Amino acid sequence: MNVPKQFKFILVGLCLLAVASIVYKTNLLSKNRNSFGADESYLITYRYFFKTDTAKTFIKTYLPKNNPRQQISGQKSVMPNTVHFSTSADGPNIKGNWICEAQNTYESVSYSFLFKGKGQVFGLPENFKPHPEGMETYLSATENIQVFASPIDTLAKSLREGIDSDKGTIQSLFNYVHAIPSAPIITLTDAVSALERNEASCNGKSRLFVALARNLGYPARIKGGIILTESNKRTSHAWAELFVNGVWVPFDALNGHFAYLPANYLELHEGDAFLIAHSPGIQFDYSYEIRKQESLPLLNEEAKEVEKVTAFSLWGLVRNKSISKKNLFLLLMLPLGGLAVALLRNIVGIRTFGVFLPVLIAFSLLETGFTVGLALFLFLILFVGLISHPFDSMGLLHTPKLVISLTLMVLVMTLGNYFGVSFGITWLSSLTLFPTIILTISAERFSKLIVEDGFQKATGTLLQTLLAVGVCFLLFSIKGLDAILILFPELLLLVITASMLLGRYIGLRWTELLRFQPLLNSKLA
Amino acid sequence: MLRYIFKVNNPKGVIGLNRRNIEFIYPHNQRKYYNLADDKVKSKMILHENNIACARTYAIIDRISQIKSKWSELQNQQSLVIKPARGCGGEGIKILKKGEDGQWQSSGRNITDNQIFQHITSIISGLFSMASNDVCLIEECIVPHSFFAEIYDEGVPDFRIITLKGKPLMAMLRMPTSKSDGKANLHQKGVGIGVNMKYGTLTQVFDGKNYSNHHPDNTARVNGKKIPYWFTMVQLAKKTAKAFPLEYLGIDLVIDKVKGPQIMEVNVRPGLGIQLVNKCGLQSTLS
Repeated sequence: MNVPKQFKFILVGLCLLAVASIVYKTNLLSKNRNSFGADESYLITYRYFFKTDTAKTFIKTYLPKNNPRQQISGQKSVMPNTVHFSTSADGPNIKGNWICEAQNTYESVSYSFLFKGKGQVFGLPENFKPHPEGMETYLSATENIQVFASPIDTLAKSLREGIDSDKGTIQSLFNYVHAIPSAPIITLTDAVSALERNEASCNGKSRLFVALARNLGYPARIKGGIILTESNKRTSHAWAELFVNGVWVPFDALNGHFAYLPANYLELHEGDAFLIAHSPGIQFDYSYEIRKQESLPLLNEEAKEVEKVTAFSLWGLVRNKSISKKNLFLLLMLPLGGLAVALLRNIVGIRTFGVFLPVLIAFSLLETGFTVGLALFLFLILFVGLISHPFDSMGLLHTPKLVISLTLMVLVMTLGNYFGVSFGITWLSSLTLFPTIILTISAERFSKLIVEDGFQKATGTLLQTLLAVGVCFLLFSIKGLDAILILFPELLLLVITASMLLGRYIGLRWTELLRFQPLLNSKLA
Repeated sequence: MLRYIFKVNNPKGVIGLNRRNIEFIYPHNQRKYYNLADDKVKSKMILHENNIACARTYAIIDRISQIKSKWSELQNQQSLVIKPARGCGGEGIKILKKGEDGQWQSSGRNITDNQIFQHITSIISGLFSMASNDVCLIEECIVPHSFFAEIYDEGVPDFRIITLKGKPLMAMLRMPTSKSDGKANLHQKGVGIGVNMKYGTLTQVFDGKNYSNHHPDNTARVNGKKIPYWFTMVQLAKKTAKAFPLEYLGIDLVIDKVKGPQIMEVNVRPGLGIQLVNKCGLQSTLS
């Protein structure tokens, strides 16, 4: 490479600046590393409203604990002076207790905390090791889990028939319970009545599943918690856990999660119990307020040191909600994608529609999904080609002709959107404003290129553009890249340095190696 | 690894687009002068001012209102060419000849004045130039020297000479073929024929893939054939290069039956295929 002197100063300077800052920040971060790596993060607030009784009024509920797939932090309890709050252990669970001495007053209390969770898939072996001793509680019958009632017994044995592995047996039990129609039943449904009515809510289904598993000698228990979605809700959730080779493995027969727990499941308690208990006979209301939080997997935001890092990063912008994490990521990816396209153009030697258009197309594909987006894109291009054809022969001027094809294209896309929404075809309704605009512009560029370069060359350029789009798409799909770019925006300085070097690259492009093959082959004298 | 990728055996000094841009175009051609070459009317004005042989300019029409009056002044010509100043890919060019009955003809068919006006209007409206407006150039029709017909008898052949700082580096002859629809461009199935600049003779014929010693539509050997007026053409290219404030140029010439070598047009971003045609890299012509 041929690099002039004044260049070298700028290059070295930019590199040093970026590298120094990155090293400083990584150093701070590594001391406070958050190895948890949450997939989702929510702020949850329990709110309770009640009228006190003449005696002491109490409210009790389960509070979440940390475990390998959920992290709880920032617990905060807000209440009036007349209410006393305490926590206590209840077997393996933690309970929060509010006690109010005042009489005949209306009170409201709240309890909030930050939840970070990971989805977890559990691999099940074909056959399980025999369970250890002391599992009796998880194998015995209770009032609502009638392990040894004859309908449960008959069903369990028949579901196991002809299956010779433990995993297969569990799958068979699970499939049966999953197939029971689900119904929002408010009254208590025990295992036998869930089976007899052949419809059940999460409670009935998990009781039945636990009863079946225990009947066949697999230790099992009920888990209770809340499915977190951005909302205010009152419903809690129950699922089951089986003890397999020393690990409690989750099964949600209502939502069909087999040996898997999604990231947005808040685990609150184990055992077949109600989430809330309160003084009998009082007026009482409650809600769970759930807000999704943006989170960075690398960041342990509680640590003081981390603030020094985030002060020199763009994370503050996301936290203050000045810009959404997704939009910031797109913005930061633009230079990186541009660099990728520049490399493809100047070193590999492919032709693309502009430099940033492939990057933008890749962005749109992120929203629509790769194959659907690509198919739509090709369809639009064909469409533009076909509809502009009759207008070509009318001898219209170039610009008005483009306006016509763009208008028709927008019409087709809105129609597609309309049908997608009204018939519930998701891929048709996936076209939001941004992909519509980008795909339309690209289709227009292509039709213009056909006029300028001829069909064959334009198609070549199109295919090569799609190649660049694919490369950009892969680049954007790298997990954790968003976190790295937001925490280390100085990486963009390295993009500048790389581009400066690339800008002075005078070597042959790879496609030129092919083109000039006869001259590069030294045998040809 | 990087070494392996970037280390290329390049004994003939072939240059690629990267090197052409960084070492030839950027330092030698200032962008503000590009339009002197890109706009055929502007380049013709420079050629005329410097008395460089080129097709005579009959008319320049930049307003639709001028079409009728300017056209009526051209009625004593026997043949002429109508082109857009900024057309691309040879589009919008019409060659008109008077038939025996005094009627204008295009491609052997009669053409009415109205059709001609419509064509000129299209040019001025920018239909062929990807722009909102353009200028129409009407000039003398060059009759190719019989030298070209000896190789291939149809279409519009021309010579291309690459010059750097006024020094001719490399040249080729571009010829249409039966497959190229009258066009002489290499990537439109025309052929390129190498030129030995020292002796003014033609060398091998290159069709984009293979080399041979004759034109694909003619079995007569081309390799070694003497080019008429070669040294006049080199002088003409040098003079042209001096007249433009651009230092790296691809100059297109044609030989008229009567008037001899004529400049056709000037390019600021000449292609690199000429290296393949001559089996020689541009870098090696610099020393």
